[in-house]
Amino acid sequence: MSASGLEILHIEDDKRTAADLQELVKATGDRITWSATGSDGLRQAGVGDFDVIILDRMLPDFDGLTVVKQLRDSGVGTPVLMLSALGRTVDRAEGLDAGADDYLAKPFEAAELLARLRALHRRASGATHSAVIIHGAFECHVKARTAFRGGKHLPLSPKEFELFRYLIENAGDVVTREMLLRDVWKMSFDPQTNVVDVNIGRLRRKLEDGFNSPALETIWGTGYRLLDGR
Amino acid sequence: MAQMERTGLFDSIFTRLVAWAIAISIAVVLILGWIVTAKFQQISDDTVRWAIHNEMDRLSDVLEERGRDELVVYIEDAASIRAPTGSATHYLLLDEDGNRLAGDLAAIPAIPEDEIGGDIVLPGRVPAYAWRLELEPGLMLVVARETSTQLLQVNQIGLAFVGGGLFVVLAVGVTGYITARRLAKRVRLINAAFRHPEPKRLAALGTGHAERDEIGEVTRHSSAALTRLDRLMRAQRDTTDQIAHEMRTPLMHLDNRLIKAIQAQETAKTPDPETTERLIDARAEIRRVVATLESLLDIAHSEADVGNPRGLEQVDLTALATRIADLYGASAEETGHNFLLEAEEGVTMLGDEIQLSRLITNLLDNAFKYVPAGGTVRLIVRHGPRIIVADDGPGIPEEFRETIFRRFGRGAEHGNHDSRGAGLGLALARAIAIRHDMELRLAPSTMGARFEMRPAPEAV
Repeated sequence: MSASGLEILHIEDDKRTAADLQELVKATGDRITWSATGSDGLRQAGVGDFDVIILDRMLPDFDGLTVVKQLRDSGVGTPVLMLSALGRTVDRAEGLDAGADDYLAKPFEAAELLARLRALHRRASGATHSAVIIHGAFECHVKARTAFRGGKHLPLSPKEFELFRYLIENAGDVVTREMLLRDVWKMSFDPQTNVVDVNIGRLRRKLEDGFNSPALETIWGTGYRLLDGR
Repeated sequence: MAQMERTGLFDSIFTRLVAWAIAISIAVVLILGWIVTAKFQQISDDTVRWAIHNEMDRLSDVLEERGRDELVVYIEDAASIRAPTGSATHYLLLDEDGNRLAGDLAAIPAIPEDEIGGDIVLPGRVPAYAWRLELEPGLMLVVARETSTQLLQVNQIGLAFVGGGLFVVLAVGVTGYITARRLAKRVRLINAAFRHPEPKRLAALGTGHAERDEIGEVTRHSSAALTRLDRLMRAQRDTTDQIAHEMRTPLMHLDNRLIKAIQAQETAKTPDPETTERLIDARAEIRRVVATLESLLDIAHSEADVGNPRGLEQVDLTALATRIADLYGASAEETGHNFLLEAEEGVTMLGDEIQLSRLITNLLDNAFKYVPAGGTVRLIVRHGPRIIVADDGPGIPEEFRETIFRRFGRGAEHGNHDSRGAGLGLALARAIAIRHDMELRLAPSTMGARFEMRPAPEAV
């Protein structure tokens, strides 16, 4: 995980979910502020300096969609991850249309939520990528579309290169299957089979072929993390 | 989709009504004009004839009482009177040899042989009506009266009718147009409400038009029916949303407890691998329940959304199939299947991309599950649009060909309930197809199974 913790605003009426999240981020070094209502959340978002907002879709006073619209209308650009028990495809589309940056259905994996929060923050903080991304022994030449490990060229197919590039862009952080599906294959749902794992498996073989140390760490049930490859 | 079409200008019943009103008013004005002019023509003809006969009676009296010479003088006097042009009377008196005795006409006008009176044209193209009479043997009298004044009057009446008629037609057209527009606007409101039954439109429909006419009644009925339908759909949506919320939240808490239990096992002094495995199984079971719940809700919503264009946009099926084939290619290789994509260029359709992805992947998941290693699975995309997933596996037994599409239907898993969201994959695929005005069926095939999504026949 990143060295510096995130400042998170959590707008959620369910106390237990809030408590679970509090406990979760204690371990990661992030700081979380909890708002139980939409109006309080809006006020907090206006005065506080948050890296990312977690917003429940169903709040006692406002609809989460209204909250995110009001945030955007009042010029608050903090990335919003909408959290909802409504996981249908139309619900996701509505959430994203309203101005949310990401949408996660309950029940969620803790690691999935944390991975998405980091990815959101990374995107929002405008970390522009140079032509060459370096992580440990790995090098990704974005324009030339070539990859190296320890100076040795890695023979990746175009899709494998895209996967590798996504992993190295999020190097150090976990990327989940859903994130890979959404950002690499442009599909916003989980096909319920192991298709992602198979593709990752092939990439892993190419990244590790001829080296003694592992290249990818599998986070059980969640996703993957690119190691430094040294 | 037929219900999205708007009535064209020339298909509109109101345009046709206005056109008919104009046509009928033109016809009425023409007929009226013709009757009036004809009647006036007849009256003025009678007047001319009466005047001529009167004059002849008078001249006849002069001849009887005072003799031929006096008649000559009398006619010369009468002919010399300058009457207004257009209604002047002209005379001619001839003896038995055809010599002119008196009058201002040069010769006998061309009255048809067998007639004694008729329309003639005097020198200078002056229209007139003439009458001839043998006053006594050897004495022929012709009296002609100019009729151009009458003709002028008839023409003026005709002109008046053309002008008045134009005005009437214009008035009918304008009034018809304004009325039709108002009616069309009211009908359009009803149609718009049917097309997109949103509460705002329904409220406008319910309050805006309280007219007590037929359209007002239709409006009120439509508004009531649509509001009821809208309320039902909302209730259904709210219920499923609540079910989703009330089920997912406790499942999430349960899942969190399982995670804590697994973590406790991992850090325990004497970890029990069997317990850990059971806890992991329990988590997988939660995932299955959530997947099943999601599929059921997706099916319910797809069925509720049939015919509703909300949320649909142009989807590039060729690009979508290419991305999915890209994703599935590697795993097909790993499982020893031949996987082929046959996509025609630029196939698009109006749809929900996520739902269509799910339709395709559900069909592919199904195929890869039942086709043994070494078999071939083909994903075919054609214009139409058609999406076909065909394989050369064992195929679907005859008795399951329809039931596999039912929720938890017999044969949906070929009697094998091991999959996540068991027994719902094909039911969801079919619900998605129907939501897109398509049908999903098992196409006849000589080998293996061939699932085909294609536009539903119009008749259904």
